[in-house]
Amino acid sequence: MTDSADNAIGNTFAKLSYLVVDDFENFRLSMRQMLRSCGADKIELVPNASAAIQYCSYNHVDVVLCDYNLGEGKNGQHILEELRHKKLLKRASLFLMVTAETSKEMVMGAREYQPDAYLTKPINRAMLEKRLSALITQRSALLPINREIDRENYPEAISLCLQALPSKPRYKTWLMKTLADLYQQVGDFSHALKIYDDVLAQRDLSWARVGRGKILVANQAYDEAVTTLRDLIAKHPDYMEAYDLLAEALEKQGRPTQAQQVLEKAAEHSPNALMRHKHLATLAASNQDMSTASQAWRQTVTLGTHSIHDSSEHYLALGQSLSDLSEGDTTEEGSAAADEALTILRRMEKRFADQENIKLRSRIVQSRVHAGQGKMNEAQKALESIADELGDAGLMDPEAGLDYAKTLFRLGRENEAKALLTELASRCQDDPALLQKIENLLDEPVGFRQKLRARSLNRDGIKAFESGELDEAVMTFSRALEIVPSHAALNLNLVQVLMKKYQETPGDRDLLNRCQKHLAQLSGLPQQHRQYRRLVSLRKKLEGMMS
Amino acid sequence: MSTRDQTNPANPRESQSIDFSMVLASAVHDMKNSLGMLLNSLDELRQEQASSIGESSRFNTVQYEAERMHNDLVQLLGIYRLGENNLSAHIEEHFVPDFLSEHMARHTPLLDGLGIELAIEADDINGFFDEDLLTGVLNNTINNAIRYTRSRIKLTAIEREGFLVIGVEDDGDGYPENMQHSGTPSFKSLDFKSGSTSLGLFFASSVAQLHSEGDQTGSIRLHNGGSLGGGVFEILLP
Repeated sequence: MTDSADNAIGNTFAKLSYLVVDDFENFRLSMRQMLRSCGADKIELVPNASAAIQYCSYNHVDVVLCDYNLGEGKNGQHILEELRHKKLLKRASLFLMVTAETSKEMVMGAREYQPDAYLTKPINRAMLEKRLSALITQRSALLPINREIDRENYPEAISLCLQALPSKPRYKTWLMKTLADLYQQVGDFSHALKIYDDVLAQRDLSWARVGRGKILVANQAYDEAVTTLRDLIAKHPDYMEAYDLLAEALEKQGRPTQAQQVLEKAAEHSPNALMRHKHLATLAASNQDMSTASQAWRQTVTLGTHSIHDSSEHYLALGQSLSDLSEGDTTEEGSAAADEALTILRRMEKRFADQENIKLRSRIVQSRVHAGQGKMNEAQKALESIADELGDAGLMDPEAGLDYAKTLFRLGRENEAKALLTELASRCQDDPALLQKIENLLDEPVGFRQKLRARSLNRDGIKAFESGELDEAVMTFSRALEIVPSHAALNLNLVQVLMKKYQETPGDRDLLNRCQKHLAQLSGLPQQHRQYRRLVSLRKKLEGMMS
Repeated sequence: MSTRDQTNPANPRESQSIDFSMVLASAVHDMKNSLGMLLNSLDELRQEQASSIGESSRFNTVQYEAERMHNDLVQLLGIYRLGENNLSAHIEEHFVPDFLSEHMARHTPLLDGLGIELAIEADDINGFFDEDLLTGVLNNTINNAIRYTRSRIKLTAIEREGFLVIGVEDDGDGYPENMQHSGTPSFKSLDFKSGSTSLGLFFASSVAQLHSEGDQTGSIRLHNGGSLGGGVFEILLP
């Protein structure tokens, strides 16, 4: 390299500001020494995460050199996430993660934020200079584009990328990736897809494959997305992004169990990604797999300790899922789960003490946990401790109301629960997700084990009905209804079978009386319920048959 | 209950069925990290004590041997993951001259200490490869070249018949006859008695094979001559 080029890069080093984060003073000093000898001047040294974040809140930093392992407390990834999440670090700024080789594997697979580069220890001056100058050169070459992205001026960023593609072949990969992302951001899927297809026509590159998968999912071409992603994972079992996307595609395809399996595998490969555990937990809970859900929530809570993504919701969800798991189970295992739930909820009350409703949400679940262990007095006491907040249920936050109704069912106060849910349904008419939850709770106000039992009986009943075994169907549906007597679809299924039977053996008035009884069971069904119209039409049909 | 009862899970004899290769792998991991710290300190020591260490051959030996062990352990772990089917190539496009000059930088302090000249002769081309895996291969090859060269090492990169060819050349005596081949050493051919296990070559060739495109697969090639007249290691990537 000639002297003039050396000076030019020396000057670039001098213009930028640096932040070195490391818990070892020796390392900080030697890093500063190395940076200075590269020509850098504005260098700040900090020993830990909070000092780093504090510094970035009030100062502009161009290059962060951050050690991954900072001892107790937050690590380098936590800092990166917090800086990017709070937008304390511009996209145009560089974040370099300094790692020992081991931790690189631990860091990789984090879901949302990736550093601009990894520096692997041991680092010497020559290496640092080469690496940094390459990155800084790249940064200044791409700065105009990143600046527009920081300003969210995507169309301008797109046209800059297009201009740069022929003139800056060295950054081709970066430009193609960024361009495809930008097209997706602005909703131009066909252009994004074309980029990935062009890249893939040349060579089978994982990033383009995942990108293509993303577009396929966005275009609702789930089958094709699933095929291409499964294939990618078979070739690259350690490519984490593909798992997340595959799970999403499977979920949207209506295969939640398979989606859960995919995420379980991913969580095994890269155990440190909070958001992935959270996704897994939600999915497992909706699959009624409460032990997997509890384990995944537990991980989410633990990983949240130092993370910007930490939230009281994770604690609450863990408490709820342990409550489901322990309900009616007074064995050692069950009472251990109940104890854990209570501990987690108490910790939540302390950790998030300044949050509105936190006590209310906590005690509602605590009460249910006690009830599930047969400790009705304590369940009662837990509710009394929040009597004021519970006073006007009409004003209660809908999610809290829903959870309260669930507790009321467990305490045997069914009428209150139903009244509360009906009131909630009319108050939240425009919120389909919430209506769905209300519906589910009204249908199945029981523990998840009974839910699973009732659902499997329902499936058996439908099978029997379809193959014409009416008596078998009547028996199976009736058994399911013993578990969940207010289940709308189940009651209506049974009514339909009984009517069919009546048509085959007219004159058996008893069948019609039974129909009437089951329809009466649903008299309080809110109009918003998805089975409501079916109820009305069957009611009419029955009137016709009885007259 | 008898402690010799085979069905007793607490039986000490049963605990011997632990996965020994797992234990080895984690021990290797640990050693590798220790060596990483050691290498870091050596680099710093060289800087701090530049005047007294200078061209001390003993210090160079310490650093060289530590580098060598470090590389061996990195390879060992790579091969372990290969055996577990847990190693795949994350192929991305890289600007080859940048990649090579970063490499050169890593070895600069030791090479300066040893008085070996390292040069790069690379075309301005982009290549498709897994950066980390190739780093492992090159570290090892350069280390090997340091051992056998007289005074010069050269890193080269060209495109030949659709393959990216990265070469490491030296001006030493070259590879012995029986090592000069372009095939793939199989794991069985590793000879643990001769002292030279060719583990490095096995690793390099495995990494080359992880790089495939269509029906083309990467490979390695060893021969003598080149522009420096010594050994030439080449890795060919599609």
